[in-house]
Amino acid sequence: MRKITILITAIILVLSLAVPAKALTVDEIIDKANLTSYYAGADGMSDVKMTITDSQGRQRFREFRILRLNVKEGAAQKFYIYFKKPSDVAAMTYMVWKQTGRDDDRWLYLPALDLVRRIASSDKRSSFVGSHFVYEDVSGRGVQADVHELVEEIDGLYKIKNTPKESRGVEFKYYFVWIDKQNFMPMKAEYYNAQNKLIRTIEAVEIQDIQGYPTVVKSKTVDLERAGETLMEFSNISYDVGLTDNIFKERYLRKAPSQWIE
Amino acid sequence: MKLKKRIFLFVVVFLFFAGKRVYAGLSSVHGFAELDYGIKLSDDNTKRDDFNLLEQRLQLKSIYRFRGDSYLSEKGAVVKLKGDFTVDEYFSGKTNFELREFNLSLTPFDLMDVKLGSQISTWGTGDYLFINDMFPKDYVSFFAGRDDEYLKKPSYAIKTSFYPDITNIDFIIIPYFTPNTHAKGDRLSFFDSFQGGISGTNSDRHIVSVPFQLSNNEYALRIYRNFGSNEAAFYYFQGFDKSPRSYKDESARQLFYERLDVYGASIRGPIASGIGNAEVGYVYSREDSDGNNRLVANSMFKAMAGYTKDLGNDFSVGVQYFIEEILDYDNYEDNLLAADYRFDEFRHLLTNRITKLFKNQTVQLSLFTFFSPSDKDGYARPSISYDISDQWKVTFGANLPWGEDDITEFGQMEKNKNVFTRVRYNF
Repeated sequence: MRKITILITAIILVLSLAVPAKALTVDEIIDKANLTSYYAGADGMSDVKMTITDSQGRQRFREFRILRLNVKEGAAQKFYIYFKKPSDVAAMTYMVWKQTGRDDDRWLYLPALDLVRRIASSDKRSSFVGSHFVYEDVSGRGVQADVHELVEEIDGLYKIKNTPKESRGVEFKYYFVWIDKQNFMPMKAEYYNAQNKLIRTIEAVEIQDIQGYPTVVKSKTVDLERAGETLMEFSNISYDVGLTDNIFKERYLRKAPSQWIE
Repeated sequence: MKLKKRIFLFVVVFLFFAGKRVYAGLSSVHGFAELDYGIKLSDDNTKRDDFNLLEQRLQLKSIYRFRGDSYLSEKGAVVKLKGDFTVDEYFSGKTNFELREFNLSLTPFDLMDVKLGSQISTWGTGDYLFINDMFPKDYVSFFAGRDDEYLKKPSYAIKTSFYPDITNIDFIIIPYFTPNTHAKGDRLSFFDSFQGGISGTNSDRHIVSVPFQLSNNEYALRIYRNFGSNEAAFYYFQGFDKSPRSYKDESARQLFYERLDVYGASIRGPIASGIGNAEVGYVYSREDSDGNNRLVANSMFKAMAGYTKDLGNDFSVGVQYFIEEILDYDNYEDNLLAADYRFDEFRHLLTNRITKLFKNQTVQLSLFTFFSPSDKDGYARPSISYDISDQWKVTFGANLPWGEDDITEFGQMEKNKNVFTRVRYNF
């Protein structure tokens, strides 16, 4: 009897240890990856440098400070962007209220005209500030937008195939994403068109641990169709800095919050 | 102030704020150098027949943030300085200095901001249409083909903003009157009622300015807040018409800026996967409140509605409808003299903006059109620009106003059609 009890206990123990790893559904993996890559901390800030290289090797640069506040984990967020370079866009500010279930709200402030412009934002696949990253790469693609299938698990990575539920307004047919099994960081993504031809890649080039959060500090996307790539480098990253909701308002679009953009 | 003195003052002030950094590698002084050239497409009676825009422009700007232990640094004080040096070949190489911005802004209390000095102010929801934005504009720049930035003129103002939870408030006091810049016949021809037609250098009307005195202060108020993603605002303005639409002394060909009050409201928000906006304004003509004085502009009602949609692939379309009504129209008509020019009671205006970006947003193709079915006039503004690099940008465009009557807003500009190019180097 005693042996049986031990055996049962052992089985339960083994199962209870094994189950969490085995039982993660593909949607759970995607949810965790989404939180890891876009929702670290209650808030976050970083300087971003973009190097945009076109098909002829010509380079353009963008530098901005980005502030992010999670309104609801895995859902609504607010972003504030203060442009530093190039000089023709310096001091321009951009604000996004990321929504779930409907279009995001976006505002752009043009200091030379003192003009707060509202940006219609139904297209999330358009270029972000002229780079090869699209808007959705920066703010996150809704996890509900795709059907996810776990293809395989190799080299400590989940390989997941994602097929858009709505193909309208999306330039790819499907994409694969490789997610680190340890920390759920998406390491790589490959986008394919209807002819199953690889058209675009995104890669986390360098990841660092910052305040306990795995953080992509260098990310690169390559446009294989038109040739060209953008490298995005993050610096001065910090989390849980105490951003408050009132920063994400027209007041600070017009007058950048010195405390946060210096 | 004499030009040389103004330039000298700018340079001194500029060096004072930017100086330390100037030596540290010019990192905080930015701006651009630009060449503008606009070829005229029709003949009129202005100074020149072949072009109406040919100028070089050097813009310098700097932002200075106070640091250290001082009061100003504690309150997040920032000084902004921006000015343009120009050489205007239209006026035979005349040099000028235009101060765009020179202001100090700070946050004396958590829920309050103050901005003092020369500043550009903009509010309201229209695209190139203004109902409650009573701040000065430069329509000569607009029609001649300068950058959009130059449509807005700076005012010398004190702007105070309050941000309690319930609503936000902007209150602007403008002690020194700045009018709109309109065609006056030297660079751009226009309809001069004293000449009885489209006029150029033959125009010799006089515009009586608003003297600098306490009773001539202008006041602009905006109360606004968000309801979810929707923005609502109320506006109040007390001051002067920015365009000289009233007659002081007909025999002396004198015009003036009549006093007016504007009460208005606007909303803007997402609708049908685009952005919708609507704005109304009631313009109360203080010096002709019942409309019986034929020399002074009547009160007016203005309204507009607009919709912008992003159609994907960096292609967006915006449409607006605008209506303007002369109030007390019966009194207006009854008091007109036989020889007076008569404006319609209603003016309807439609606008359309189409923008398409190519090549990672470095090429911008844009068309903005105004069309008034009631005035039978319009204005097309096509342009294409190319960001060759982060520094170099080239723009080609055209200004194509037209109209059946000389008296209407765009019809009177008909002889000013041009094609222009701008080449800019940003630093």
